[in-house]
Amino acid sequence: MVLTIPQKDALTELINIGYGRAASALSELTGYRVVLEVPQVAIHEIDKVAPLLATVINGEVAAVNQVFSGPIAGNALLLLEEDAAIVLSGLFDQERAPTRGFDASAREVITEIGNILLNACLGVFGNLLHVQVAFAVPRLHVETVDDLFTSITGDAAEKLTYALMIQTRFSLRTSDVSGYLIIILGITSLDRLMRELEHWEGRQLE
Amino acid sequence: MNPHPSAPETVSGGAFSAHDAVLGWVEDIAPYGIFTTDDTFHVQSWNQWLTARSGLSAPDLVGQFLFAKFPELRTRGIERRYQNALKGEISVLSAALHKYLLPFPTSVHNAPGPHMLQTVRIAPLVVRGKIVGTITIIEDVTERETQAAILQRQQQHDHMLSRALSVLLRTTDPMRDIEELFPSFTPALGVDAFFTHLSDPEDNILRLSASGGIPARLKEELAALPAGTGPCGSCGLTHAPTMVRGLRDNADPAYSELRASGMRLFASFPVAVGEHLHGVLSVGSYHHDALPADETKFLSTLAQYLGIAMERLRREAQLITARKTLQEHAEGLETKVQERTALLHEMIAQLESFSYTVAHDLRAPIRALQGYSEILSEDFGHLLPDEGKFTVSRLAKASKRLDALTRDLLRFSKVARVDVELEPVNIAEIVEELRPYSPEFQTALSVDLPLGTVLAQRTLLQQCIANLLENAVKFANPREHLRIQVRSEPMARPTAAAAPLTPHAFNPATFGGPRPASADAPEQPWFRIWIEDNGIGIPERARAKIFGIFERSAGSEHVEGTGIGLAIVARAMQQMGGFCGVESQVGQGSRFWLELPAA
Repeated sequence: MVLTIPQKDALTELINIGYGRAASALSELTGYRVVLEVPQVAIHEIDKVAPLLATVINGEVAAVNQVFSGPIAGNALLLLEEDAAIVLSGLFDQERAPTRGFDASAREVITEIGNILLNACLGVFGNLLHVQVAFAVPRLHVETVDDLFTSITGDAAEKLTYALMIQTRFSLRTSDVSGYLIIILGITSLDRLMRELEHWEGRQLE
Repeated sequence: MNPHPSAPETVSGGAFSAHDAVLGWVEDIAPYGIFTTDDTFHVQSWNQWLTARSGLSAPDLVGQFLFAKFPELRTRGIERRYQNALKGEISVLSAALHKYLLPFPTSVHNAPGPHMLQTVRIAPLVVRGKIVGTITIIEDVTERETQAAILQRQQQHDHMLSRALSVLLRTTDPMRDIEELFPSFTPALGVDAFFTHLSDPEDNILRLSASGGIPARLKEELAALPAGTGPCGSCGLTHAPTMVRGLRDNADPAYSELRASGMRLFASFPVAVGEHLHGVLSVGSYHHDALPADETKFLSTLAQYLGIAMERLRREAQLITARKTLQEHAEGLETKVQERTALLHEMIAQLESFSYTVAHDLRAPIRALQGYSEILSEDFGHLLPDEGKFTVSRLAKASKRLDALTRDLLRFSKVARVDVELEPVNIAEIVEELRPYSPEFQTALSVDLPLGTVLAQRTLLQQCIANLLENAVKFANPREHLRIQVRSEPMARPTAAAAPLTPHAFNPATFGGPRPASADAPEQPWFRIWIEDNGIGIPERARAKIFGIFERSAGSEHVEGTGIGLAIVARAMQQMGGFCGVESQVGQGSRFWLELPAA
């Protein structure tokens, strides 16, 4: 499935609104200005996602994953390279000594950051598309991309077929950290999302 | 609990009660703080865990507006998380970023702060698919974070120690390196000041060597501390760490200067290895009254490392001194040997010159003696009685012998003094030249031709052969008809080179000059010249000595001779780089040999 240009623009705009909310939440949390760059959005078949990510991510990833359910159901993930996750947790937690590595405390910080970002993106479904979704508790995985996708797609209720991939970049106090936001949806959820997107665009034009 | 809004929408009233019961049960037994609010954020439940830790019981809280009871939640922006929960969002609040949700005291010893550290989850409370309020779960992570902090400090100390160790292992000035390292250590430690003293074993005084964070006046006071005095005196005496907590309340006069500078904590650690005290490492704090145990251990270990570094330098210095002494001694020995060798050479030269002069100058009066005794015998012999004639003849004989002796001595010293120039010499030629000199040579001497050509100095070699031929004549066996045979044989290498001159292998009857420069030098053919007789022979014990000056074979007292002839042979062969030796059997004859390189 390929997004049409208007669909892509609409999705980018929708995600960008969510990002604005996330950036302000993160800035408030740290006291620093957090900039989230305009995301790049694409849809891929789920089988293609892991090989695609393997070309840009080496080794293990730290992934915050949050299952959501409702009229649009699926699994939302924030993927960071493990090293990037350690850097990111250090950027947010000023008291951390660099020697601490990826300990329980750092994992919690990454989980909270992931939670804020995922809530912001999925929140726009409710706020703007008027589709009420519910979230499960966010969980952190540290494993390879392949293992991650195997465990996520294995225990989903609806067969997950498509992945909405959003490449994102955090800028915080002279440091840049890249990450990927991935929303995995079944065919019915994707269909619903596209329809709600059209309705939203229609409302914008009114 | 199940946050899932699509959880059974058609639940019965009974199921709702069960759901409620489960929540109640979980609240009771879970090792977490759990409280719920309604959709207007009024507290609905407050579990036992929270009561136990907050001091606020459920009746105090239930029905109260959450943000009125805990206004901090609003100022810290956490209220929005609750509002989002009503929209279905779940929030995770990490302890690292928020420290805590509700300000409860902590019971953990050594906790980083006064409050319990909390990891929090705020979620919608969903009943029959409808969000009816919020649920908050609080996890106490103080213990975990405290342990992590301890671990981190340990790692930091290990890191600092390994840095110190890597510096101290290669240092040439440990105290200066510690002075440079310490400022990077102090932020991680609870100390603000440090100073090190070096122990002076000469006068038993601790002298300040490095310091940081202490005022100039205090530095002056600490500059030199006689044994047992000053703040680190007892540490210097007992080699045991000293720790003075709460310095402000301490009246001990030893610490009055430190107290005056505003120091609140003081500790000193011995820089020692075994019994040897190198110095003392001291630290102080203007902000803390006590030093944590792990920092005490760190500083104690650092002082030990410092001690080891200083011990290493002390030993190295000793080693260098010892080596220097040894080298000086060796150089002294060499100089002495050179001096003595030079002295010996000079003495030998003087001796040779002296013997030459003596022999030369003696000859004139000896000749006079000889001449006058002849005149006496010939011109006045008839006037003398028989006893007088006999005395005069003895006089003449003695003076003749004296003349022969001085002549041979002169020859010997000439051989020793001559500069040898080697040239090809035909052996047969010089032997034939000798034949007319003695009637015995003409009758007894037989030569096995060819004899070959050798590298020698013609006159010296002829002298050698003449001496050996004369010797054969002198030591002829009176019962045998004298036979002297001269022959030669080619050799691959000289005898001395074939048998190395180790002390045990030394052949005492072999004498010769310098050995070939190197065993690897191309081999040059040699000749051995044999002069064989059928004379009286030489006893074995005498064979080693006969080549010495004035040495004569035992039992040869009746034979005329000076005892210098063979000494001349040995010396001449040595001068020409050749060898000589003898084989003999008493009563059967002697076989003298000379070895020289073939020309």
